[in-house]
Amino acid sequence: MNIKILDSWLRDFVKTKAAPPKIGELLSLSSVSVERIEKYGNDFVYDIEVTTNRPDLMSVVGLARETATVLKLNGINAEFVPPKFTKPQTPKINLIQIVNDPKLVNRICAIVMEIRVGKSPKEIQERLEASGTRSLNNLIDVTNYVMKTIGHPTHVFDFDRLNTKTLTIREAKKGEQIKTLDEKDYVLNGGEIVAANDRNETVDLLGIMGLENSVVTEKTKRILFFIDNNQPTKIRKASMALGIRTEAAVINEKNLDAELAYDALLFGIAMFARIADGKIVSDIIDIYPNKIREHSIEVPLEKINQVIGVDVDPEKALRSLSNLGFKAQISGGKIKVTVPSFRIGDVEIEEDIIEEIARIYGYHNLPSILPPQTGVIPHLFANQFYFEQRVKNALKYWGLTEVYSYSMVSEGLFEGPLEQAVEISNPLSEEWVYLRKTLVPSLLKIISENKSQETIKIFEIANVYNKKVNDLPEEVMTFAGVIKKDKISFFEVKGLIEQLCYDLGIKNLSFKQSEKASNGSSIYIGKEYLGEIEILDANLIDFELNFALLLKHATLQKEYQPLNKFPPIVEDLSIAIDADVETEAIVADIRSQSNLITDVDLKDSYKGSRTFHLSYQDPEKNLTNVEVSKIREKIISSLKKRFKASIR
Amino acid sequence: MLFLKVMEDELIDIKNTAISFILEAEDLESLEETKLQFLGRSGKLTLAIKGITKVAPEKRKEFGILANDVKQTIEDAIEAQKLKLKGQKLTRVIEKIDVTNPGIKPPLGHLHLVTQAIEEITAIFGKIGFERVRYPEVEWDWYAFEALNFPEDHPARDDWETFFIKAAIDPKKGPMLLTPHTSSGQIREMQRKEPPIRMLNIAKCYRRQSDVSHAPMFHQFEGLLVDKNISITHLKGTLDYFVKSWFGEKRELRIRPYHFQFTEPSFEVDVSCGVCLGKGCKLCKAGWLEMGGAGMVHPNVLKMGGINPAKYTGFAFGWGVERVLMMREGLKVDDLRILYSNNLEFLEQF
Repeated sequence: MNIKILDSWLRDFVKTKAAPPKIGELLSLSSVSVERIEKYGNDFVYDIEVTTNRPDLMSVVGLARETATVLKLNGINAEFVPPKFTKPQTPKINLIQIVNDPKLVNRICAIVMEIRVGKSPKEIQERLEASGTRSLNNLIDVTNYVMKTIGHPTHVFDFDRLNTKTLTIREAKKGEQIKTLDEKDYVLNGGEIVAANDRNETVDLLGIMGLENSVVTEKTKRILFFIDNNQPTKIRKASMALGIRTEAAVINEKNLDAELAYDALLFGIAMFARIADGKIVSDIIDIYPNKIREHSIEVPLEKINQVIGVDVDPEKALRSLSNLGFKAQISGGKIKVTVPSFRIGDVEIEEDIIEEIARIYGYHNLPSILPPQTGVIPHLFANQFYFEQRVKNALKYWGLTEVYSYSMVSEGLFEGPLEQAVEISNPLSEEWVYLRKTLVPSLLKIISENKSQETIKIFEIANVYNKKVNDLPEEVMTFAGVIKKDKISFFEVKGLIEQLCYDLGIKNLSFKQSEKASNGSSIYIGKEYLGEIEILDANLIDFELNFALLLKHATLQKEYQPLNKFPPIVEDLSIAIDADVETEAIVADIRSQSNLITDVDLKDSYKGSRTFHLSYQDPEKNLTNVEVSKIREKIISSLKKRFKASIR
Repeated sequence: MLFLKVMEDELIDIKNTAISFILEAEDLESLEETKLQFLGRSGKLTLAIKGITKVAPEKRKEFGILANDVKQTIEDAIEAQKLKLKGQKLTRVIEKIDVTNPGIKPPLGHLHLVTQAIEEITAIFGKIGFERVRYPEVEWDWYAFEALNFPEDHPARDDWETFFIKAAIDPKKGPMLLTPHTSSGQIREMQRKEPPIRMLNIAKCYRRQSDVSHAPMFHQFEGLLVDKNISITHLKGTLDYFVKSWFGEKRELRIRPYHFQFTEPSFEVDVSCGVCLGKGCKLCKAGWLEMGGAGMVHPNVLKMGGINPAKYTGFAFGWGVERVLMMREGLKVDDLRILYSNNLEFLEQF
């Protein structure tokens, strides 16, 4: 969350000669990020990002405290001047009774005042406008000005329009209709914190926005100034569900210091008196069921130095802590710290104190040191990531382009029955609902989205998700590709997979006629199913493989074979054979005839004939023609007998 | 003895004759003829070597060595001459070609930018001992939030920011979800192994957000180091090392206070702007660009991971791969989602 404040406003509470750029730089390094400093007339405006754990810094006072602390530690003169509040004289009159529900609201501070509606002084208008808040009238302006200064949101009702003896805090019922002060209609979901009048009409959506039926107008004479410190989760839930993200809601949904509520009340009363002729006409109401309990933390100095990595001066550390509002002292080698109310939600353990000391010391003042290596952690070179990269590189150099598509797909892209799908219960769009079980549909979508390209070769390696009962889905690393090319050959894709497996040291790869796809092949490593090649049409082939299985078998291990001393004899063998006989069966049959056959390759295939390239080699001696022709005859007679083949 | 001398002289003669023939050969055909004449089945050298039977047995070895030597010399000379003759032929061909015609290129595809970044990040951290791991993308709330010290009502745990899976809520591990950060791997790593831990977890993450600077699926890389006596200075050193390795030595790093549930203290890590080098310009925030978060591992997180926080400390950082990629010069895209649009015209640029 961001806050914008004028430099002059900040200087109401911090006295220093430091220039805005210096303040911005040092705040960024040690406190909050000053994202921009811009000139604003004769002034400067700081645009500051505040982290969610520091709602106390969504205020000029909070930032002034940090500024003073940070400047001082960097040797620049600065003094934090906190605002002083005095409880005004109030008549002992109760004009309204507030019935609180302590489960919903931690504290309510309120008062009734007579006022005069008008414009705010120029300075107030300017400060608000510079911080991005429109100046409306002096009543609304006071609520915003108090929030910005003190850090606690406030609200103002038109007391006469409320027209009630009691204000009851309760949870909204589902279906309740309201109109917010910006005249928008909402139907409540139930559970929102609301205030109701005597007639049980909802008159406020607490912590988020006031309602049209009780908001101040140009005719307002009396106001109920109202400060509510709410249960933050209730505010968050309601604000998100209704989509009303006011500044008040954003602050109220954090752990906001309830002590600030009373400060805000007193500051507001004084502001109404100053700029709206405000006169107090009731006693102060302060309902405070959920009081904050202070706590203290002890940290050994030794630990502080160990975590920060340098030895810090304990006296300096103490000064920083006390400048930040902590009560701190050293005894027995420990720093003992009492946490101020505005930091209770944020500072709870030793490490929180170390952070305070370290950041004010300045992270920029710490050296950069690489952590020393301890112990012996072996590194497995050929791990899954190595092989993944090796495969991707091979594919790249074979002309394929890698894509990344979303793991979540639409109903249309999900393959298989939807009840098998891992489904997102709160999808962002219909495009992204189911976790995919296959990659190919996403790749085919990419093909169709890139119509202008005639040849496309793409691949992706990503997880697919298999649903399991009462357990996380099984995530299987999967490898898929699609090739779109004029008259693409099945064997181009098969060859790619064969070569990839060869490179990964995988030997027992086999291709069978596909049982799944009408046209294609099922691929196995030994008996394990690896995946599928699918011929979609004459120009489009896809494949999808279980990459995890490839990784399981991948190896860099190599085995030395003694080099051959004697040259091989090579020859071609052409046979006429039925086209239904699979080449693999013929090769296996040929090989089985003699262990002197070292290689059998299909060289050519044309209609009813196939030519094989054969190598014969004996590791012990030179083979003679006589020996080779004996083997050849054996081959031929076996092919004849088994496959009714004939020599051509 | 005398006889051996005669035979040896004969071998030398053959060698000299052969070499002069070889050197005179003007084309490959005549060279082949010379080869046959000397080394063929009834070539001169072959026949001379067969004469070894006439040599006294105790001298055969000596003769054999010389014969082999001669054979080798002749073979080498033939090869050399062959290359020379072929080379002449080649020169003749080159004279005729138009070198401005396009080359015949081997195929070349493209790796996705994210893959390229992951490879580089892995190598940079690998050098200082961080081992890459990968943990589930579909995760239990316990790993993604609960054990990382997120309070039950933290906004990240609600329906607006995190994707949840339609599945029964586990009594111990809570709802099933798509992990919104690689930090869920911190606990898994601590459960898997004892300190010292040096983990680099790079994985897909998911958040319920889609706009010009957010894709609902993205990648993070998470470093986790747990050991004895680890301090903020070590974290700063590691981040400095990465920034200078990834962006170049001219870029500076700064860490400043921030807030995360699972680290204490927490930091936001900034890198000096590559355009203005820290002076401040339109593209940066007062000279700096935000890179991501880091911090000292929260003691509650160590406890949840089964590690004694009194004995060990650690640091962690987790950044978007896409983010550090886009922060490099020349890669500023208008809409981060173009990375996952799979427009080939885009992918083929890298």
